[in-house]
Amino acid sequence: MNLTFAGVDGIIILSSYAVIMLVIGYLAGRGKNLSKSMSGYYLAGKNLGFVALFFTLYATQYSGNTIIGYAPSAYRTGFTWLQSISFMTIIIGVYLMFAPRLYVISKRLKFVTPTDWIQHRFKSKAVTILSIFLMLWGLGNYLLEQLVAIGQAVAGLTGGTIPYQYAVIAFVVVMLAYEWMGGMKAVAFTDVMQGIVLMIGIIVFLIGALYLVGGNFASVTTFIASTEPAKVGVPPADATVNWLSMLLLVGFGAAIYPHAVQRIYSAKSERILKRSFSRIAWMPPITTGLVFVIGIIGIMMFPGLDTGGSEQLVGMMANEIAAINPFYYWVMILFFGAIVAAIVSTADSVLLSFSSMVSNDVYGKFINPEATEHKKVMVGKYSGIAVVILLLWLAWNPPGTLYQIFVLKFELLVQVAPAFILGLYWNKLSAIPVFWGMLSGALLAGLLTLTGNSTVYGVHGGVLGLALNFLVAVIGSYYASVSSAEESEAKEMTSLKIEA
Amino acid sequence: MSKDQTKEPIRKKWIWIGLVIIMLGIVPWYFPRGTEVPIILGFPYWALISLFFSLLLCGYLSWLCVSQWNIVEDIEENED
Repeated sequence: MNLTFAGVDGIIILSSYAVIMLVIGYLAGRGKNLSKSMSGYYLAGKNLGFVALFFTLYATQYSGNTIIGYAPSAYRTGFTWLQSISFMTIIIGVYLMFAPRLYVISKRLKFVTPTDWIQHRFKSKAVTILSIFLMLWGLGNYLLEQLVAIGQAVAGLTGGTIPYQYAVIAFVVVMLAYEWMGGMKAVAFTDVMQGIVLMIGIIVFLIGALYLVGGNFASVTTFIASTEPAKVGVPPADATVNWLSMLLLVGFGAAIYPHAVQRIYSAKSERILKRSFSRIAWMPPITTGLVFVIGIIGIMMFPGLDTGGSEQLVGMMANEIAAINPFYYWVMILFFGAIVAAIVSTADSVLLSFSSMVSNDVYGKFINPEATEHKKVMVGKYSGIAVVILLLWLAWNPPGTLYQIFVLKFELLVQVAPAFILGLYWNKLSAIPVFWGMLSGALLAGLLTLTGNSTVYGVHGGVLGLALNFLVAVIGSYYASVSSAEESEAKEMTSLKIEA
Repeated sequence: MSKDQTKEPIRKKWIWIGLVIIMLGIVPWYFPRGTEVPIILGFPYWALISLFFSLLLCGYLSWLCVSQWNIVEDIEENED
């Protein structure tokens, strides 16, 4: 995405964002010795208040890719992309299935990672290791995608003045630095800044785009209806099946993301958690909804782009908007800075979650269970740096379309959902069927994707895998012999234990 | 607060029936295909109806969070 308008001004704005993030990170970690405890570093001491929790949920869920990738999706699919509002909203519905109980149990048992729950519930090495693998794989892919996107956005914003590789390295160093200093606290507080600029940026971008098409959205739709009627028509059958499949895939996948689960652990209180969710439920219309409108307007501004061309849509529109007058010029630069900030804000959460799983789950559970908390935190910090270096090496060959890799990471990660959610309520659910369910689901989803059948009749491979996974786990547990002692132990683990 | 007075969404069946109904309203499977598409307020009519259900979903979930979920809130608030 090349922005012909930017250049030096873009560098100034990006540098300012970087400095602000570093200052926030420094202030978040100052004098607190966060590295001494796992919960202090990775979960902000389980003490996040409403503002920080709301924005960290927001900025983590909505990345810069939400804009750069979703506007082209709307451009290519037309009004069917309205689904992006509902699939981002349904995440809250899935949270409602498990967050209320998990929050209570996680506070009682001082969980740090999602794996803590899986291990506690099933007491099975096989289930624990497989779920760690699936979650780290999903997180790694997700992080890779964000790193690629940082480079593309910065290179675009500065009109190529800053080459792609330098851009990625500069922002990764900034991110690692503030995360090192302040852990989850720094991540959440930088998310407040990143979330606010993203919201404002989207709104101004939309206003500029509407101005360019004469201020009348209806004329855009009429234009599309006359030139590309398929984009306004009732979606065909497979597209509606695909829509429903997206609701399931994103709903379960995004709610069960390790960093999403850790935000449940980090909440200061149930009251703050549910109020944050309650507000987040309204964010899709004013985030993905507005981006959808931007993509639709793009159809009229730049008709006839192919897939590769449409990926550049946001940059092309920004060029036009910046040319309106100096006000829009500066807002567009701020906006692209905001996109970079939004990508960084998603990447930092994913990286922190990755580090926490390496230190708590891999190192703390299997390699050196006797290690002090401080040592575990340090292992997590260093392994975070190591994984970023590894992913950067991969990132130099970025894949073409952002959306494809977005689907890929969900397919494996979502397979943890049955163990995670069903395990909270069904005491008969037992480890061996859960393991085979998870494995067969992941294999089916992975194979379908690798053989180029990422959807079958519109249903995503991840959803088919999830269905198989669920069936194996449920039927297997139904017939598995569970001793009454084991069942009452499970009952003990899943109970809320509220004193009368 | 005794366990009976706690509110946990998973235990209320109507919540999930409501959710499925709204989802069925969002996904545009029930419109005739291949016919002329009237445009209302800049949206094809089916998209406007789908949008209506999408916004209903936001409101429904937002309301559920604050009104149908109360497990340890009173205990926690009393501790402070």
